[in-house]
Amino acid sequence: MFVSDFRKEFYEVVQSQRVLLFVASDVDALCACKILQALFQCDHVQYTLIPVSGWQELETAFLEHKEQIKLLIKQDDDLEVPAYEDIFRDEEDSGSDSDGSEPSEKRARLEEEVVERTMRRRQRREWEARRRDILFDYEQYEYHGTSSAMVMFELAWMLSKDLNDMLWWAIVGLTDQWVQDKISQMKYVTDVGVLQRHVSRHNHRNEDEENTLSVDCTRISFEYDLRLALYQHWSLHDSLCNTSYTASRFKLWSVHGQKRLQEFLADMGLPLKQVKQKFQAMDISLKENLREMIEESANKFGMKDMRVQTFSIHFGFKHKFLASDVVFATMSLMESPEKDGSGTDHFIQALDSLSRSNLDKLYYGLELAKKQLRATQQTIASCLCTNLVISQGPFLYCSLMEGTPDVMLFSRPVSLSLLSKHLLKSFVCSTKNRRCKLLPLVMAAPLSMEHGTVTVVGIPPETDSSDRKNFFGRAFEKAAESTSSRMLHNHFDLSVIELKAEDRSKFLDALVSLLS
Amino acid sequence: MDAAEVEFLAEKELVTIIPNFSLDKIYLIGGDLGPFNPGLPVEVPLWLAINLKQRQKCRLLPPEWMDVEKLEKIRDHERKEETFTPMPSPYYMELTKLLLNHASDNIPKADEIRTLVKDMWDTRIAKLRVSADSFVRQQEAHAKLDNLTLMEINTSGTFLTQALNHMYKLRTNLQPSESTQSQDF
Repeated sequence: MFVSDFRKEFYEVVQSQRVLLFVASDVDALCACKILQALFQCDHVQYTLIPVSGWQELETAFLEHKEQIKLLIKQDDDLEVPAYEDIFRDEEDSGSDSDGSEPSEKRARLEEEVVERTMRRRQRREWEARRRDILFDYEQYEYHGTSSAMVMFELAWMLSKDLNDMLWWAIVGLTDQWVQDKISQMKYVTDVGVLQRHVSRHNHRNEDEENTLSVDCTRISFEYDLRLALYQHWSLHDSLCNTSYTASRFKLWSVHGQKRLQEFLADMGLPLKQVKQKFQAMDISLKENLREMIEESANKFGMKDMRVQTFSIHFGFKHKFLASDVVFATMSLMESPEKDGSGTDHFIQALDSLSRSNLDKLYYGLELAKKQLRATQQTIASCLCTNLVISQGPFLYCSLMEGTPDVMLFSRPVSLSLLSKHLLKSFVCSTKNRRCKLLPLVMAAPLSMEHGTVTVVGIPPETDSSDRKNFFGRAFEKAAESTSSRMLHNHFDLSVIELKAEDRSKFLDALVSLLS
Repeated sequence: MDAAEVEFLAEKELVTIIPNFSLDKIYLIGGDLGPFNPGLPVEVPLWLAINLKQRQKCRLLPPEWMDVEKLEKIRDHERKEETFTPMPSPYYMELTKLLLNHASDNIPKADEIRTLVKDMWDTRIAKLRVSADSFVRQQEAHAKLDNLTLMEINTSGTFLTQALNHMYKLRTNLQPSESTQSQDF
């Protein structure tokens, strides 16, 4: 649904009714859901929450509640939409009423009308052609617009009900988009600027010595912090080894790479024993200028973007989290491979971990995230060392075998997408073939033994100025149609599909011929 | 009485809020609640204030006595005296707890206030224990304590009365055994 004035046309309509919320299984959607839930609780709006993980589930749930639904608003990432007038044309009156009048005039008018009609038909044909082009462009590429959590936060701000907690959820939603590489660097920096204004508006009292807030209040602060995943909850060494940025630049899957890592640490003067300890237990003298030291040394080793603009939250005496920590934790909770009781348990657990009162869930999520990151890097290392990434011509292809350790972790869409993106980055750093560096990647992982399905993911090529457009959605559809493979194009993220394992080879052949 | 019941009674105390909505005077069984205008302070019972704060419809103002210097004076006075000194509000403990849990961002220096009120509470409970102890030892028949609040009475009251009951039973069972003969084994 497209609205121009979010507050009036959406919230005030919905406020007086009972609301049915469909939420996608994505950290950004979860954050937007939390903000909306908080707003509903303030205004005593009754709502029902239904998590959906794909178009089919959305349809079934919609049909279930069909009688009671009046207005349908999907809560997902917005996609950029072309102008309204170009797509929907209001039906003009193309009536050519002729009233009874004199024959000669009538005849003249008839001729005029014929001319008019042909003109209009030609215009209409041109308009249709333009419309087809625009729709093709629109549907060909898939990309993401502003984070939906940020959109919800703007709504809360317009209603003057915005709180620090909601601001934090908006920050987590934006960081999720950045972690999953869904938006370009430029957009991320712009959005960070927007959020920073809100942060200083809410949190300026922290600098004031006289009137400091209680320690228990949440404080959000802007940080220009290191890009290492979870480094404050892990040891520095583990974090350096398991962040895709450093692992791919250092080439940590090779012995040479490990040596370079040791050189890097020695260059900064950090003893190995300290670095392998838990970060909180490191010597204070070493932690003092850590960020600047790491940035300098990283520059020498060819990593220019070691630091990134982000936010951190701080409450109580003990709990401090960076936005990316929370993103990884929630993602791991939502996609954990453990048995899912009622199908929505993981979703609810991930949703709960975002509130302040459920810190134990968040810490559990952090542990799961550590496992996930380690498994990702190990899988990447094994793929690169055994040359599992092969070039098929117009794209690179990699397939995870059944018996690979931790393969069950990668059957879910977001984990597999992250693995593939990191694999592509590492591959680009490892290969010397110039042509291969510009190819996209298609990755397959086994999904379920009984049904014999695999999950297939398509990642666009790695370029510096990419605007993150992904054309694989359409490509997969066309390839499957042409070979009549049994494919399930269910996920909201169109570049992820489920495919029957037997159809895999003919599907790939069709894809090769389509893209070359 | 339950501690929750005492808290329920405490929620009738009036506090000042600054609403951000407007509403005409409402007529409830317990009394009238004055018209609400955004930006103008109005006095409401604590239960309503907490509810409005949770729905982000108002800002709470701390009561007059909830101020670091005043509380420090009261605490020092309490520590010096042997008996109980009058407290700023008959429900000071419940008010502090509720206000600091739900609205600590509206109360300046919330951490220090929490520490001070806890100090006062600890001192008074210690005095209560000492006086209960001497009461039992000297087997007094009745005692009079001024300036106790309902929450303090409730905290120690149940235990004290049950313990005294037990002691009475034990004591009355001592007398008859002097007149009966013990059996030969």
